[in-house]
Amino acid sequence: MEVWMKRCLYLVMILTFTLNLTFLSFAQAEIEEAGPSINLKSVLGFEFFSRTVGWKGDNENTYTSKLKSYLFTLKMDIEIQRGLFLDLLLGYSSSNYAEMTFRELPFSVELDVGGIGGYLIGGEIKKDLISKENFEIALLGRFTFCLGLKKQWDIPGLAVTGEVEGNPTWMQVVAGPVLTYQRHNRLSPYLSLSFNYLWGSFDMDETVQTLRGNEKKKFSTEALIPISLGAIYALKDSISLKGEFSVFPHKGGIEDFAFMINVVYAF
Amino acid sequence: MKTEKIWFIFFMILVFSFSWSFVHSKPTENDQGENTITLNKIPPFRFGGPLYAPGEILVKFKPSLSEQKIESIIATYKSRKLRRIPRIDVHKLQVPEGMEVREMVSLMSQDPDVEYAEANYIVHIAVTPNDPLFIYQYALSNSGQDIGVPGSPQGKLRADIKAAEGWEETKGEEAIIIAVIDTGVDMLHPDLVGKILSGGRDFVNDDDDATDDHYHGTLVAGVAAANTDNNEGMAGVAWNCKILPIKVLDAEGEGYSDDLAEGIIWAVDNGANVINLSLGAEEGNQTIEDAVRYAYEGDVVVVAVTGNEGGSVLYPAAYDAYCLAVAGTNNVDERVTFSNSGGVWESNYGPEVDVAAPGEDILSTVPTWFWGSGSFPYAYGGGTSMAAPHVAGLAALLKSIKPWLSAGDIMDIIRFSADDVNSIENPGKDEFLGYGRISMEKALVPLIITSSK
Repeated sequence: MEVWMKRCLYLVMILTFTLNLTFLSFAQAEIEEAGPSINLKSVLGFEFFSRTVGWKGDNENTYTSKLKSYLFTLKMDIEIQRGLFLDLLLGYSSSNYAEMTFRELPFSVELDVGGIGGYLIGGEIKKDLISKENFEIALLGRFTFCLGLKKQWDIPGLAVTGEVEGNPTWMQVVAGPVLTYQRHNRLSPYLSLSFNYLWGSFDMDETVQTLRGNEKKKFSTEALIPISLGAIYALKDSISLKGEFSVFPHKGGIEDFAFMINVVYAF
Repeated sequence: MKTEKIWFIFFMILVFSFSWSFVHSKPTENDQGENTITLNKIPPFRFGGPLYAPGEILVKFKPSLSEQKIESIIATYKSRKLRRIPRIDVHKLQVPEGMEVREMVSLMSQDPDVEYAEANYIVHIAVTPNDPLFIYQYALSNSGQDIGVPGSPQGKLRADIKAAEGWEETKGEEAIIIAVIDTGVDMLHPDLVGKILSGGRDFVNDDDDATDDHYHGTLVAGVAAANTDNNEGMAGVAWNCKILPIKVLDAEGEGYSDDLAEGIIWAVDNGANVINLSLGAEEGNQTIEDAVRYAYEGDVVVVAVTGNEGGSVLYPAAYDAYCLAVAGTNNVDERVTFSNSGGVWESNYGPEVDVAAPGEDILSTVPTWFWGSGSFPYAYGGGTSMAAPHVAGLAALLKSIKPWLSAGDIMDIIRFSADDVNSIENPGKDEFLGYGRISMEKALVPLIITSSK
């Protein structure tokens, strides 16, 4: 029930955001009927990240494993005011939760199952703050929600048949300044230092004949402040490419990283 | 502009449709909060640690490759050589930043120039207790050794209950109590001192001193939970769990149903989590059935013997709903029969048999007076009486690591995790070994899930 309520809450948040955005966009369109047209862009993206996630294990010890995810996204970017951009994001992801171990089920299990698919939905807001000479500073905020698909696996090695069913979800918030260098006509490199937090849960049900169990494992990332370096390259007036690479320094060194490639089409 | 607006509206419809599908997605059985037991109230206990060294792997390249070629292959993986073991030509390579060990192993394993690639697994002292008699306990760790009885055949490698693997996960908690309802227990035995919870209860002599005046109960107690890793004597299955001695059988090894029933109820009321009954009768009676039901409903796991006569399963083991009935195997994972035990005993059989455990030539503790003063208080015992305490020990370990499980859950885990060692003649559950010989590894250690359904 708790899971369902949380999903409803997320849904309400997303719907509210979407509705606000829709009204803002139409309002903007109406306002601009007499003036300049609304600035729309569609963005096709691919992203990969490898993040260390911590989760509570036995005796409240914290264990870590890697969450690796491939994200395929479609975004709609709208400039609702001059210098204020809103993005809506939809997509699909494949996330690998290798080595996550569930010891609170009747039979303890460890995952080594490869990628688990999931739907992505999210939004991004970007506000240009300062523009001086060739430099521009903007503030960026992004939220992504991944609703994993339920998946079933057989439990090997038992005297009877048994299965586990997993249902992961994760969320990610990113917020921070972006410094863009805009001297060149077509190439705009940028640097960003942000807060990037990913958290989620993995709900696992086990059924072995009459035995039933459930374990919900909550996890969150350990490295939170990535340094990102990226660039936007305008191929044509209406088409540009955006690439970004991020590293997440942490006490154990740099183990986490992410990169993304976007193709942007301006209407 | 018109086309752009159409695109924009289409996108919005898509977003709303997507959201709407979430709202109307069917709630799962779990969401309804019915039919599923939630088992995440108390965190389990475990000894943990990484399986392999981070950031490095071991690779053997094809022997035909030159050192230069190997160097160039290593470079293509953005790796570097950390070490080479010349005699076997194995290279230790660094895993490039951002790549996982398993990923690199998987990648290099597919390389035609690579013979094998594997993680640099962490080697540690196996959980082998330092008890000097452990080498004779084939039931716990069978290396195919001669078990010590002159003329006894050698055992079969790994025809054991996989105790060492299970101990990696847990060695038991002191709070978990195994009631040994038998002839009593020698509380002065050096391998049992400190493991006895209290003087227990003697229903034969009606007092609070369950000291063993036979030997059988002391044998049973040692198998289940002898002092382990104490540089002395033997190892028990449940290293850290306590023993609660309860005497219901006299010096001749006999007793009455009323004392047995009282002993079971007393054990439940005095905090036992597991009851071992290495005893039984040919005929069942309601009093005993009521007593074992009382234990089961009190979430106490009752482990009982099937018997040694080659006939039907004894009571109370035959009370299938409330007891785990244990048959006996030997050091080659066969059911003990008159033919392979030299005509001494045969494990009983019937549909009530749940699992089996080693029961032939089992080394254990005997009372300090048994062989005479100053003698070595250990002996080999045989029969399903020796098989049952292995299962009781495993039940105690499960209760230690997952205290929220019910008696029925623990019984099922022990059943379903058994190795079907007689699968060639009798695949699946059968009336001789039930689901098979117990496996501490599968019952306790996380099972690796690899394939989709």
